[in-house]
Amino acid sequence: MEVLLVAIAGIAFAFAANQISPRGLALTRNYFPAKNSHTTALTTNATPAALSPAQFLAAQIKENGLQSVDGDQAVKLFHDPRFKQNGIVFIDARDESHYQEGHIPGACEFDPYHPDKYLAAILPICRAVEQIVIYCNGGDCDDSETAAILLRNAGIANQKLFIYGGGIMEWTNNSLPVETGARNSKSLHGTNK
Amino acid sequence: MDIFTVLARWLLGATFLYLGLNKALHPVDFLKLVQQYDLTQNAPLLNSIAAGLPWFEVFCGLLLLAGVAVRGTSLTLTVMLVPFTLLVLHRALLLQAALNIPFCAVKFDCGCGTGEEFICRKLLENFLLILLSVWLLVGRGRQLSLRFSLIKSPSH
Repeated sequence: MEVLLVAIAGIAFAFAANQISPRGLALTRNYFPAKNSHTTALTTNATPAALSPAQFLAAQIKENGLQSVDGDQAVKLFHDPRFKQNGIVFIDARDESHYQEGHIPGACEFDPYHPDKYLAAILPICRAVEQIVIYCNGGDCDDSETAAILLRNAGIANQKLFIYGGGIMEWTNNSLPVETGARNSKSLHGTNK
Repeated sequence: MDIFTVLARWLLGATFLYLGLNKALHPVDFLKLVQQYDLTQNAPLLNSIAAGLPWFEVFCGLLLLAGVAVRGTSLTLTVMLVPFTLLVLHRALLLQAALNIPFCAVKFDCGCGTGEEFICRKLLENFLLILLSVWLLVGRGRQLSLRFSLIKSPSH
C-alpha cells in the first residue's frame, strides 16, 4: 500500500515538475522525426560492424530524402561569394552553449529540440537564401537531420537543404576558422582561412 | 541508534537526488539516451519516460533524505533498479558484440546520470544501490525520520 502511495505521488510530482520546469519536455512532440521505419530497417538489416556511424548517418540522410555535402564541399560553399552575399547560410543545429563555444563563422543557431525559440528568426533567412547547409557535432550526431526535417515541414524547399555530416568536429580538426559567441561576432579562431 | 542504517538512507537519498537532478536539468540529453534503448517508437510514451523518470528519482531521493515512507520508497527503487540494470547489461552485451572487445572494456553513457562509464563499474554501482535499497526494506534506522511509515500499524 505504501509503495502504491509513493508511486502515485511520485508520478504526479514528476509530471508536475516537468510541466513547471522551463526545460521540461513537450510530451506530445516527436523529437526524432529523422528516425522513421526506414531507418529502423537500416539498423536491423545491417550489422553494427558493417556500417560506421558516418556511413549509417549518410544512409539515414538519403532515406529521409535529404542531400549531404562532404568537408570539401562545405569549405567550398563557405568560400563561395554567395555566402558573403547572403545567398548561402550555414545553420548550427546544436544547443546554445555549444554554439556559443564555437560555430562556423556566420552560422545561424537553431536547436531543433527547442524550435519555438528559433523558428521565427530562422525561417525568413532560409526562405531568402539559395542553399542551406546544416551541421551539428559530426560522427553519429543526427540533430542536423532533425533540424532539416523541421525546416522542410515548415515549408523550406527540400532542394535547398544540405546536411554537412562531418560537422563542427571535422571543421575544427581541419583547423578551419571558428567564431565564438553570437553570430557575426567577428571573434574568430583557427588558422586556415 | 542504528546510525549505519540512517547513513545508508541518507546516502541512497542523496544519490538519487543527485542523479535525478542531473537528468532533470538536461531533459533533452536524457531523452536522446533513452531513445537509444529502442524501448518504444511511440513519441508521447518515450517523452513521458524521459520527462518523468528523473523527477521521480528526485522525489524518491527527497523522501529518503527526509525519512518519509522509507520502506515504500526503497521497495519502489529496488523495483526500478533491477530492470534498469538488466537493460544496461543488455545494451552493454550488444555493444560488446558489435565492437568485439572485452566486456569490461565497454564504455558508454547508460543514461543513469553519471555520464560515460565502464560497464563493470556501472554494474557494481547499481548492485550496491540495490543492496542499500534492500537493506532499508528491513525497517531499521527509524531515527531522524519525519514519518518512517506513512501508514501506521494499529496498536493493540
